[in-house]
Amino acid sequence: MNELELKELWRIANEKLEESFTINRQNTEDIARIKVYTSLSSMKPIKIFTLLVGILWVGLGAIILSHIYLYAFSEANKFFLVSASVQVVLTAIALWIYLYQLIKIYEVNSYDPILETQEKLVQLRISTLWSARILFLQLPVWTTFWWNETMFTDWNLFQWILTAVVTVSFTYVSIWLFLNIKYKNRNKKWFQLIFSGKEWTPLMKSMELLEQVEEYK
Amino acid sequence: MNKQEQQQFFKEIIEQHKGILFKVARVYCPNENDSQDLIQEMMIQVWQSIHKYNDQFKISTWLYRISLNVAISFYRKNTTRANRFTVLNEQTTEILTEDKAETEQQLNLLEQFISELKELDKALILLYLEDKSHTEIAEVLGLSISNVGTKVGRIKKKLKTRFSQLTP
Repeated sequence: MNELELKELWRIANEKLEESFTINRQNTEDIARIKVYTSLSSMKPIKIFTLLVGILWVGLGAIILSHIYLYAFSEANKFFLVSASVQVVLTAIALWIYLYQLIKIYEVNSYDPILETQEKLVQLRISTLWSARILFLQLPVWTTFWWNETMFTDWNLFQWILTAVVTVSFTYVSIWLFLNIKYKNRNKKWFQLIFSGKEWTPLMKSMELLEQVEEYK
Repeated sequence: MNKQEQQQFFKEIIEQHKGILFKVARVYCPNENDSQDLIQEMMIQVWQSIHKYNDQFKISTWLYRISLNVAISFYRKNTTRANRFTVLNEQTTEILTEDKAETEQQLNLLEQFISELKELDKALILLYLEDKSHTEIAEVLGLSISNVGTKVGRIKKKLKTRFSQLTP
């Protein structure tokens, strides 16, 4: 099939479909009445819910921890205090990155050239990996919350070994994930396993599109 | 432009250039229901961007950019889409005369082959089939003119190969 035949075929296809090109006038009127399409109003409920839960968690954590630091520091369990502080700070950083990226995504102009727009969108979506990396970095502190001073006086060797193995493993896994959750590892099995849920599908699809954008450059 | 002028301009654009929205939607969303949602989303984006319209670009270039950007993003969200073309192909060939049936079959094949292309290749072939100049394709996609020529040539070759594999 040559070039002319291809275009002729496309023209025939369009002729057949042109009869169905009808736009509901009322629909156009309704759209033209939309006033402001803000980042917040266009956000999906699940994203707003995630943000609210995150803000609530960090806010409550910050209030409770500040109270302990200010008024009950001497009696507080220092292991708990340090673990909780690290957890709240890391969650706050991940939340900030998530929010910043969401706002940036909604600021991208859809009337810019396709490659430019899609590359911006894809890069922003891929950078949500930073949120995941930082959240994984919290893993070790979940094993140290419950530590207390009695472990130095009352524990036997078995308890020490068991605790050390769990904490060291979690630390190793979290640092390894922090260093390896990157776009370049997107085709690895472990990566696809971690990011296999429905929530991550747009991210994985974005990575496929970035490959196309790179091919086009 | 004041609000009323914007509304009027929006209605005129949509009425005069609705074909662009429909054709882009057809290429990216063979499923009828998804296609309607996609056109609606494109119209919303056109309305949201209308106050930033820059008349240094042709309206068609501006509309292609918006509709293709929306379609590519929308397409990624909808991973499960029925392959309408194959079904149509089987249904129509039996009841049409031989000539018409052949054209119909080729049409279905063309649509099927386009649906198999990657997102950016789809945008390129759509603009090429719409007889857009390499300059306009370059403006819509953000590619150099020489790069457009190379890419179009490559996709045409791919389509020809697919046709030669499946047609007697």
